Amino acid sequence: MADGGSTSNTGTSSTPSGTPGPSVPKAIGSLAKKPSDVTRQGSQRLKFVPTLPSRRKKEEVKQEAPPPTIPSASTDRGRGRGRGRGRGGEGRGAAPRPPPVEMTASGPFAMGPALAGTSARRSAPRSNFTPIVPLGPGNAAALGAGLSGAAGPSLKRETLASNVLVQKEIKSEVDDDYYSDPDEGVEIIDMENVRQMDWMAPESLRKERKEKKKKKVIQVKIEDPSSPSGIKKKEEAMDIEEVDLANALDLSESEEEEELEDLIDDFALQGEAEQDADVRQERLYFFQFPEPFPTFVPNIPSTSPTTMNVDEPPSDSRPRKVSFAADVKPPGPSGDPAGVSTGLETEQTKELPTIDGVIGQLEVYRSGAVKMRLSNGILMDVTGATQPSFLQQAVHLDLQNKRLHVMGEVNKRFVVSPDIDTLLHAMELGDQAEANAMPIDDTNLIKMN
Amino acid sequence: MDGDELISVLPIHYSNSLSPNVHIHQFPLLSRPLQTPPAAAVSGKRIRARIKPITRRLEIHVPVDPRPEVWNGERSKELGAARQEDDREKNQDVGKMKQMEGEEPRLIEARMRSELIPQEGAYMLGVVRNGQLHLQPISETHQFRPTLTYLDIMSRKSRRSRGDAGSDEDSDDGPPPDPDEPPPIQTTSKKEKKPLEVKEVQVSARKAADDKGNLQGGLSAVRREMLLAIRAEEDEVWEDLDFCDGETAEGHEAFEAVFSQNEEHLECNSDITAFLKGIKGL
Repeated sequence: MADGGSTSNTGTSSTPSGTPGPSVPKAIGSLAKKPSDVTRQGSQRLKFVPTLPSRRKKEEVKQEAPPPTIPSASTDRGRGRGRGRGRGGEGRGAAPRPPPVEMTASGPFAMGPALAGTSARRSAPRSNFTPIVPLGPGNAAALGAGLSGAAGPSLKRETLASNVLVQKEIKSEVDDDYYSDPDEGVEIIDMENVRQMDWMAPESLRKERKEKKKKKVIQVKIEDPSSPSGIKKKEEAMDIEEVDLANALDLSESEEEEELEDLIDDFALQGEAEQDADVRQERLYFFQFPEPFPTFVPNIPSTSPTTMNVDEPPSDSRPRKVSFAADVKPPGPSGDPAGVSTGLETEQTKELPTIDGVIGQLEVYRSGAVKMRLSNGILMDVTGATQPSFLQQAVHLDLQNKRLHVMGEVNKRFVVSPDIDTLLHAMELGDQAEANAMPIDDTNLIKMN
Repeated sequence: MDGDELISVLPIHYSNSLSPNVHIHQFPLLSRPLQTPPAAAVSGKRIRARIKPITRRLEIHVPVDPRPEVWNGERSKELGAARQEDDREKNQDVGKMKQMEGEEPRLIEARMRSELIPQEGAYMLGVVRNGQLHLQPISETHQFRPTLTYLDIMSRKSRRSRGDAGSDEDSDDGPPPDPDEPPPIQTTSKKEKKPLEVKEVQVSARKAADDKGNLQGGLSAVRREMLLAIRAEEDEVWEDLDFCDGETAEGHEAFEAVFSQNEEHLECNSDITAFLKGIKGL
């Protein structure tokens, strides 16, 4: 109502300061009430003005936001590489945040390399409860320096080492209290690293690979300089990120290469670093062969000069398929290289003949292809199989001694399949041989030339 | 591949000295290594294992982390009692159970029970050492999952106390009715019987195949076989095994046996075409 409006005008004209009218230009200084300031009744509409939090806090939060997102994304990057980087990133960027608890052989990739799980296992429990000590090579390996041994993740250990306080006592319910009271020290937990908080902490979900790959590239650039102040580098990072979009294709390609590299490194790794003798450093691999697995028998030094072995230099005289080979039981596994002459020994006691010896060779090519060349012209392709995300152990069951030995964790699975070209060629040859062997004087057969 | 450079060659050794005792154990629900939690290791608990050799079933008992932050002690007592009863029913008592916690048994370990998984193709375990690849055949694959059968006991108890109101929803009195059977008549008569004989029905269903046969007018052969197999398994005695971690001396011995000692080259009796011809149904 106009009256109402006028009264309100007069009423409030004496208190012009009550109305913060942001859109009213200062020059005119009109005391007219804006419709938005006044309710229908004409009374002063309450205006909500947010209280700005202190500046300092904002910056902190801001600083924490980018580092967690970047490293967190890369944390669980395949093969656990990012894990190390992620941790390094967080340690650097967020001061108030307690650095996450030390590694744990958490996740399938951190079990990673060599250790066949043993040293990874040992380092994991201790690190959760003892002051965080950089565990050296065992630790780096536990982080999964990638199965391809790529770039030892340069962890910012200085920041981690300083914090001895392992928040194992504080569980999620206590964290909630913390969260609801933002004025006190907020323990910001990166969800990606929940796993490291405690022995019993749940698994962190992993993000998609593609995103992480980009971040990974960024991380590399960030981590190289070791100064903790990350602001400047973040700007760089942003730039790099934009550039990365253009390189997105490259990254996915390199992902392929990376996997192949892994194969190469798995097999081509000749010199292992000297590690603790108690810890088995060999990696365990799982191969899936097609049925039926070819049978092998030891060579019986007969007189036939020709050799069928593709991989063998023809210097040795080896018999062809000896017809009685199947009947002869091979000697025990403790034979020496010169023990071929004992091939005529028969061990009738064992049902399963103990076979032991070289059956072929594994060839690793530069392109990443891995082939197995077995004797008798069998050529097989080796490819990486789907890697399971759960624990797999190879064990030896000793019923006589009532023991179950854990030989280690299986790091990688491979599928072995026959090389198709070789297989088809062999089939052809086989068919031809059959055809040739068939009598061709059957009048019913039509010969097609 | 033309133009593909050969980087390295590793001779492949094959040995079956350890077979048929090499197994792969998978833990589908576990993604961290199998270890005793440090808090439990402090009190001397270790991982234990036991096996039923004939039925090829293994159990691995993993101690739990008993810290109050992550473990509910009260609940563990309830569950422990249920588990003890379950053990008694199924003849799988852990003989070493010491009643140290007063009178109440607690749940102190997670039991993982194995399932034998059929293998597709020939599985080999490979280890690279000294520039050589050593292969050992893997005979069995087991998948381990935690057994929670003691929960059945608990739900049974709570159901009895609740009366029969909720019994229809979570009725777990034995396996579901055989599809070969004519259902309608049977179920109605069963329902009449249920309010009166709830307990008996359950017990008989699980324990004796014959009674169940009488109830439902004859089981199919498959069903009977299965029940017999289950019973036979329950009757078999567990054999305890030492669960040796990777670091023990015996473990080392076993591990070393993976590597073949022989350097001689073995002759192959089979042809590559055997792979193709070996495909069933082709």
